[in-house]
Amino acid sequence: MSDDYPSLLRSEQMSLVQLFVPTEVAHDTVAELGELGNVQFKDLNPNVNPFQRSFVGEIRRVDEMGRRVRFFSTQIEQEKDVVPIRPLYDSAPLIAVGPRAPQAMDELDVTLAAHEQRLTQMNETYQKLSERTKELIEARHVLRETAVFFDKAQDHQTDIRTSFDDSSAPLLQHDDRENQYSVGTGVQFDLEFVAGTIERVRVPTFERVLWRVLRGNLYMNHTDIVEPFVDPVTGAETRKNVFIIFAHGDALLAKIRKVAESMGATLYPIDANADKRSESLREVEGRLEDLQNVLYNTGSSRRTELTKIGESLRSWQDVVRKEKLIYETLNLFNFDVRRKTLIAEGWVPTRDITTIQLALRHATEESGTSVPPILHELRTQKTPPTFNRTNKFTEGFQTIMDSYGVASYQEVNPGLFAVITFPFLFAVMFGDIGHGFIIFVAALYMILAERKLARVDLGEIMGQFFYGRYIILLMGLFSMYTGLMYNDIFSKSLHIWHSAWDFPSNTTDTKLVGIDNGHRYSFGLDPGWHGADNNLVFVNSYKMKMSVVLGVIHMTFALCLQFPNHLKFKRPIDIYANFIPQMIFLQSIFGYLVICILYKWSVDWSNATTQPPSLLNMLISMFLSPGKVDPSEQLYAGQPFVQVVLLLLAAICVPWLLITKPYLAWKDMHKIKEQGYVSISGEGDGNGIHRNSSDEVLEGEEEGNGRDIAEDGDNGEHEQHDFGEVVIHQVIHTIEFCLGCISHTASYLRLWALSLAHAQLSEVLWSMTLEAWLEPNGVFDWIVLIVMGVFWFVLTVFILCLMEGLSAFLHALRLHWVEANSKHFEGGGYAFTPLTFANPDSKE
Amino acid sequence: MEALLFNVDGGFLEGTVRGYKAGILTQSHYANLTQCENLEDFRTQLSATDYGNFLANEPLPISTATIADKATQILVDQFKYLRNNAVEPLSKFLDYITYAYMIDNVILLITGTLHERDTHELIERCHPLGVFESMPALCVASNVEELFQSVLVETPLAPYFRDCLSASDLDDLNIEIIRNTVYKAYLEDFYAYCGSLGGPTADVMQRILSFEADRRTVNITINSFNTELSKDERARLFPAIGRLFPEGNNQLAKADEIDQVRSVCENVGEYRQFFADAGSSSNGPNDEDSGILSQLEDRFFQTEVHLNKMAFLQQFQYGVFYAYMKLKEQEIRNITWIAECIAQNAKDRIQDFIPIF
Repeated sequence: MSDDYPSLLRSEQMSLVQLFVPTEVAHDTVAELGELGNVQFKDLNPNVNPFQRSFVGEIRRVDEMGRRVRFFSTQIEQEKDVVPIRPLYDSAPLIAVGPRAPQAMDELDVTLAAHEQRLTQMNETYQKLSERTKELIEARHVLRETAVFFDKAQDHQTDIRTSFDDSSAPLLQHDDRENQYSVGTGVQFDLEFVAGTIERVRVPTFERVLWRVLRGNLYMNHTDIVEPFVDPVTGAETRKNVFIIFAHGDALLAKIRKVAESMGATLYPIDANADKRSESLREVEGRLEDLQNVLYNTGSSRRTELTKIGESLRSWQDVVRKEKLIYETLNLFNFDVRRKTLIAEGWVPTRDITTIQLALRHATEESGTSVPPILHELRTQKTPPTFNRTNKFTEGFQTIMDSYGVASYQEVNPGLFAVITFPFLFAVMFGDIGHGFIIFVAALYMILAERKLARVDLGEIMGQFFYGRYIILLMGLFSMYTGLMYNDIFSKSLHIWHSAWDFPSNTTDTKLVGIDNGHRYSFGLDPGWHGADNNLVFVNSYKMKMSVVLGVIHMTFALCLQFPNHLKFKRPIDIYANFIPQMIFLQSIFGYLVICILYKWSVDWSNATTQPPSLLNMLISMFLSPGKVDPSEQLYAGQPFVQVVLLLLAAICVPWLLITKPYLAWKDMHKIKEQGYVSISGEGDGNGIHRNSSDEVLEGEEEGNGRDIAEDGDNGEHEQHDFGEVVIHQVIHTIEFCLGCISHTASYLRLWALSLAHAQLSEVLWSMTLEAWLEPNGVFDWIVLIVMGVFWFVLTVFILCLMEGLSAFLHALRLHWVEANSKHFEGGGYAFTPLTFANPDSKE
Repeated sequence: MEALLFNVDGGFLEGTVRGYKAGILTQSHYANLTQCENLEDFRTQLSATDYGNFLANEPLPISTATIADKATQILVDQFKYLRNNAVEPLSKFLDYITYAYMIDNVILLITGTLHERDTHELIERCHPLGVFESMPALCVASNVEELFQSVLVETPLAPYFRDCLSASDLDDLNIEIIRNTVYKAYLEDFYAYCGSLGGPTADVMQRILSFEADRRTVNITINSFNTELSKDERARLFPAIGRLFPEGNNQLAKADEIDQVRSVCENVGEYRQFFADAGSSSNGPNDEDSGILSQLEDRFFQTEVHLNKMAFLQQFQYGVFYAYMKLKEQEIRNITWIAECIAQNAKDRIQDFIPIF
């Protein structure tokens, strides 16, 4: 099967291969294989500590380079003006393979180190300068604010002066220095003070602490500095306040200084003299100007440096990421010191072996040596990883199934069938031409703009929709189809063909009764039902039965998927012991129900002699009182007999399912014992492999690396058939299946419930918003109509398409995961995770 | 009752802390760590644990101080996350945990100021969990009265300091007395608070706190031999809780040498092995004493780790939060020790850490 075109039905056939790579070409080989992306390497030294492996030194060097590159990118991100970063596809590729690769890496290392050094130096200078600038700015603020304060105080003083006697000294005056002051412009303040700046958040604490330390013997004033201070390194903003504190006595002032300093305040020496103050203000401003010039120059040269880095940042990131991956992979290899070769083992898709061979040859040529890596296949008993080749269309569907469980190797893959069944079951719940059209158009847009959108980071939510765009497209298409069946477009109905019902228009009755006019509506639901009183009753019964029919078909189909699995894995017993009884059980109860439903639909009950029977009651009484059917509710002649036979069939299936497999297993075991074989623990299947691979083992030993292969044989999975395990497993399986049949059939009724809810919700939305305003008279009505129309459309998109769509999606998902997958899916595999460089997610 | 209502407020955080606890390094991690040749290996090895890439952006060479700082920072972040999501009474319980760090910080600052160290340097050395707003102002105070009036009065520590206002001057001995008095008050208060919470929290926490109190009592006793501390004063420093209280404490208050301490401890079953086989390696009285002391210290730590591990065996109680903090601190001490041994090439002592799991 492996020679065919790759199909989704089964996962790819995989081979375990061994690679002998000469050390010289090891790096280039892995680089080449990483570009190719279809080899999953196995860890050949699981017992070795990560730091004791062969290539730790290289990894460390790459890590260091990575750290530098990260440093650059954070620096660039923090820069306020955007520094252009040249995208990867635009920049010249760095050559990291070939004979010149080590040299290129050395050069890159040196370049990075040089850039880092320069950048750190500039940062330091810049920081120092901005620190100085900050101080000067603060000093300027302090000078200005205190000047304002002093001026105000002076005004107060003159006020006080006019209203009081000289003898009653003003508040800010002190006795023993009174003789110094003179009335006029040169007012002297003889209280000592401390001035400075402090972070705004700390002001209240500062005040409180000071007040307590000095016992209230202080006068403090503070004002906000309007503009924030920005830290040049982190870019964080701090807001500060200017404060000035008056107190008396050297001890107190020393205390204030100490508290202020420990609280993180900066103090500035301010002179009480106004002239000196303005002089120092001038000086500060002069220095500030100089500094700002220097700062500007430093900043611009730093920016130039960053721009230069930005040009090649992306390619550096890329190279560093790849190198790290390469060396991490090389660490998985077994290093043969004597021969200077690396031995690698890994899984590859059998189909791709030739491609890999080519890649290996290419790698050898690139690196300019003549010793090519040797690849050969190993035979093994180990279970290979599961690898389903997908394209952009099937990827989404496959992911849906993989997130439930990864299929066993070469098992029938439910992802293939989900391509059709998933959108279909969704559409049964979502059936509406209009809504289907909306999501179809949305998906179509995403697909047409695929190239553009794939490059943009869409964010988590939009990214997911984009990822599932093909699923959405099919969901939209199928919804339009089921919408046609339900004859629903935004809760209205289409009238394409002639309806089967006429409503007489000339009667005076309050109740109109439709008259059959002999036509038959050729496709979908007759629009005559729309708006009828018994519409809901009719649609309810129709959709409920339809969902049971669909459910049983879906389950039967899923059950049938067992069959190819049993054939493929050569388990004929499972066909007789599992598949056939399960099928009979399902069909004799629920298959019969489906046939009854279809039969009941086909009978014209208006002319029949009996009442139409309730199928639900029929099914219940089939179990409760087998063999008896009330003649007034009989569906067809001979019904009691048929039902008894079916019930017996189902009843036989249960012990059949329960006992056959354990019995066969027991007989098998017995036979082996009678033949005199005794299983040696742990050697059951191993022997076979040893014999099979003995040639290789010998060859390998000659080559000096027999250990790996021998270990392979030993590690192979020995399936110890424990009889008890088989029994328990089968009991659980039987119970699960029989009960599951009932509950799963009931579970499909969600198709009915959701589609009904959807139809009702869209009808409610229509009648509550648009319907009343559909015949506008005058301008006002038109405006209301437009507003309501927009309102209606927005709600349609968000509630009906998005919310309802998500809920229908969820239920379709459940029907696939639980109801269908439980019928056949083993899901015991592990995914194929090849070494690949194409990983857009990791942004390092 | 706890089982019914505990999860309403505490379930999420208990789950979180138990998740954190699952990340504590195990014996095999330590085995790998001790094999490291240099600190870069050490970093590689740690990056495979829950610490992750916490050192990835540090330029080489890494110092052990950086490792300890970064590890503590992780713990602090976790604690803050817990604290921010907690409601009464868990939030109050978590606050109590921080008080111990506050006391340490206060004492650190006072001692530092006394020896005229640089304030900023001191503040940097403070434990981030014990930082409070007005803390820097501590360095202004020159006596206890002032200390209390100016700074501590508005902190939650205020009630603990009330008892030691009498000690007037700040010198090394007094600071030590203050530390112990405050810690005693804190332990008693925390003990009472846990008691008021009742239920399994009280059971678990009082067991841990009793041990903590006893450890302090024994340490105070041993450290006060041959100092100017009078026996009366010594007795006043003993916490009035714990398994040695009251008769053990009374005897310890009168003890003059280490043998008496031993006989007191032997009255409690769990403490009996602290002094077991200590006398075997006796070369001289001084050597013996220091040997016993370092061994005692280790055994205290081991018992503490054991008790904290036991706290995780009970559900629906707050003890896990306290225990996690203590275990994690021990782990940080361990990795710092290992890193230090690697850095100083002292491989023979590298095994002297206290394994947790």
